[in-house]
Amino acid sequence: MAEFTAEAFQNEFLPDGGTDVHAIVRFTARDTASGVAGATAIGSAGGADAAEIIIVDTSGSMGVNGIRQGVYAAGAAIQEILDGTWFAVIAGNHVGSLVYPRSPVAAMVRMDARTRAEALAAIQLFRADGGTAMGTWLSAARAVFSTVPQAGRRHAILLTDGANEHETPEQLSAAIAAATGVFQCDCRGVGDRWQVGEVRRIASALLGTVDLIPAPEHMAAEFAAMMRASMARGIANADLRVWAPQGAQVLFVRQVAPTLEELTARRAEVNALTGGYPTGAWSDESRDYHVAVRLPARSVGQEQLASRVQLVVGDQTVAQALVKATWSNDDALTTRIAPEVAAYTGRAELAAAIQDGLAAKAAGNDAEATSKLGRAVQLATQAGDDEMTSRLKKVVDIEDPEAGTVRLKKGVEKLDEMALDTASTKTSRVRR
Amino acid sequence: MTACPSCGAGTPADAAFCEACGAELTPGAAAAGAPSGAPTQVVAAAATPVTSTTGDESPLDVGWTGALPRAKVTEPATPTAGAVGAAEPMAAAATAPAAGAVGAAEPMAAPEPAGPECQACHQGHLVDGYCDVCGAPPRDPRDHFTESPAPWVAGACDIGKRHTRNEDGLALLADPTPGTRAVLVVCDGVSNTTDSHIASLAAARAAREVLAAPLPQGMGTRESRVAALSSALGEAVKAADAAVEGAVPAGTENPPSSTVVAVVIDAGLAVVGNVGDSRAYWLPDVGEPRQLSTDDSWAGEMIRAGASRADAESGPRAHAITRWLGVDAPDDLTPHCADLDLDTPGWLLVCSDGLWNYCSEAMALRDLLASTLTGLGPAPVDLVAAAEALVTFANAQGGADNITVALARIDGSGSAHPPTKDTTHG
Repeated sequence: MAEFTAEAFQNEFLPDGGTDVHAIVRFTARDTASGVAGATAIGSAGGADAAEIIIVDTSGSMGVNGIRQGVYAAGAAIQEILDGTWFAVIAGNHVGSLVYPRSPVAAMVRMDARTRAEALAAIQLFRADGGTAMGTWLSAARAVFSTVPQAGRRHAILLTDGANEHETPEQLSAAIAAATGVFQCDCRGVGDRWQVGEVRRIASALLGTVDLIPAPEHMAAEFAAMMRASMARGIANADLRVWAPQGAQVLFVRQVAPTLEELTARRAEVNALTGGYPTGAWSDESRDYHVAVRLPARSVGQEQLASRVQLVVGDQTVAQALVKATWSNDDALTTRIAPEVAAYTGRAELAAAIQDGLAAKAAGNDAEATSKLGRAVQLATQAGDDEMTSRLKKVVDIEDPEAGTVRLKKGVEKLDEMALDTASTKTSRVRR
Repeated sequence: MTACPSCGAGTPADAAFCEACGAELTPGAAAAGAPSGAPTQVVAAAATPVTSTTGDESPLDVGWTGALPRAKVTEPATPTAGAVGAAEPMAAAATAPAAGAVGAAEPMAAPEPAGPECQACHQGHLVDGYCDVCGAPPRDPRDHFTESPAPWVAGACDIGKRHTRNEDGLALLADPTPGTRAVLVVCDGVSNTTDSHIASLAAARAAREVLAAPLPQGMGTRESRVAALSSALGEAVKAADAAVEGAVPAGTENPPSSTVVAVVIDAGLAVVGNVGDSRAYWLPDVGEPRQLSTDDSWAGEMIRAGASRADAESGPRAHAITRWLGVDAPDDLTPHCADLDLDTPGWLLVCSDGLWNYCSEAMALRDLLASTLTGLGPAPVDLVAAAEALVTFANAQGGADNITVALARIDGSGSAHPPTKDTTHG
């Protein structure tokens, strides 16, 4: 049986008049491959109730080599899909087309030796042609997934090499909105002509990851790894539930590890005091959430529950942590900040500084770019995040890391900027 | 050695009471025991302790409630929740084996059965030890408790609505046979003194312990019995004083103070002793009701000097008490004593100012009791319900102070002597 645990990291002591409670809640899942008792219909993945779609960019910009590597990548992913899993392959340019199964209408087939061979043959027909309209790919995938409503876990991997030039941002937004909650999607961009922000928008809404593949030769390995990871997710759908007492306000709910993801706006009301936030499928892994709740201040000495943070699979609460508040006039107690809360708060600011700085740089606003990226250098230095500092060094010349004084580098490699951007939301786990 | 559930002091395994705080060590009494572990509040000692802060509580009174170790009291027994506040410094040692996460190895049942109703908001129910609507923990058992040693004697002790700590104490004792033998003790810990919630309960229990021993009968005449019982009350007050002094370590700044009022009922005779302004009343079914105790208060002094009760008790210093128990108590702690023959049906009512603030005159109190009893429905009267109803009355009036009410029903089959005048000893 899958096993979940929850831990809360917080300083529960508030000063007199204090109202804001911050906590990091860590959920850890083990033995997810065995599913959850009583929730078998939505439990074990990788088999009868999982569905996978591989979406490969076949726009003209992919070129002969890009398409060849795309075929390898799709093939590598197909090889990782377990027998019994529903699957399909979509080729994307200015429209999304079903490449396999070969069918005039949306359809999926179960993986077996025959369908695997057919799919590997079908992808050989990829041709570089046309434009890029990722919204149409998502809509095609949604239509294909809708043919297997019995599949509890629906997941896609999407590859693109260019900007979304052949539909409006509104059209893409509508397609993302329609796909939200229908399937999860991990996205990868190859080369340096795609827009990190654009693809992040898709991945974030569809509870997936976004990353950069520097060169087409790396695609196959990346696709195989993504599909393997997806096949390992034994828990189809888990919801984070955050309860706060009457009169309290949930300031924000944020996933802070393994990646930063703002969840606040994704709240679906469970009841007046409880919000649900989708977290997608889980493998054997650990995720950290930062929950901030504002309470009406109570008198010194009073204690109360500030939040109940639960992970729910199906209708079952599989783990829960209690976040507490105790008002005290002992400064020694109230002035401490839990190290986990401090670290992730800084990490979120770092990500925002990097993204805002790169956006300002792209917009030609060098002053703001310098300021934001300087702040990023300062935060990375304070956190001892050498990996991020070295990524930042490829974009800025650092004069004083402590003060955050930097100059924008001349002739920066676009790939280095994109790598910095995609890395900004990846967080290393804060250890106790 | 075992730890006192109230104050944590080491006590011999066979001890009935804690040497440090006076808390009863019997398992049943532990729930009502005074909590402890509260950081001490250091405030400037008032020149004149005040037991009531009606309408003008100092912010200093908003102090630690000294919450009980709730984990032991309220955590659900079923190993469901995987919940731990891992960053709690105080709990870290206690939960060391389970430090960090407690896994929900078994799926949690859903929906969870609702626990008892929340006493803070009266809307939600306790789940995992906290209200599922307002988040409040369960009410500290020290904040509200009742005692009923026999059907004819009962009391209720309540935090009220404005204080964050219940600094009243209550201790009762009764023979099952109505009217034969009972002890009723109420103590009111002085607000803003260190750990007065521990001191007051310890004092009440210490006084009861003295009065629980076989009582002296003197020469057997009424006069000598009154004298002997008054003497026993004097010993009980001394024990209560020692308990107040012993509630905190020697040298503690702003040590606790408390009032005490004790009633002994013994074979048709009742003797009352008090220090401070907690009161005992005789409320006969027929005839003149009256206050038996004598207030050691500014208002009491004014009344004795001829001022009207209404005027005196509404004065700005009305609640300033002139005698109290504790380290800084006056030298003379001889209680005011009064005696009464229990030869007519009626009620002995013992209370803290949390009640009499809202109903001071004996006649008004009898009317209040009568209407309260009527409200409880036809006889037989449940004395716990009656005491609770009087607490509810005081809370409805504002509950500005802690409220304690103890009742003894007298059926009037005792001594044939008519009630005598108050006699004040000392």
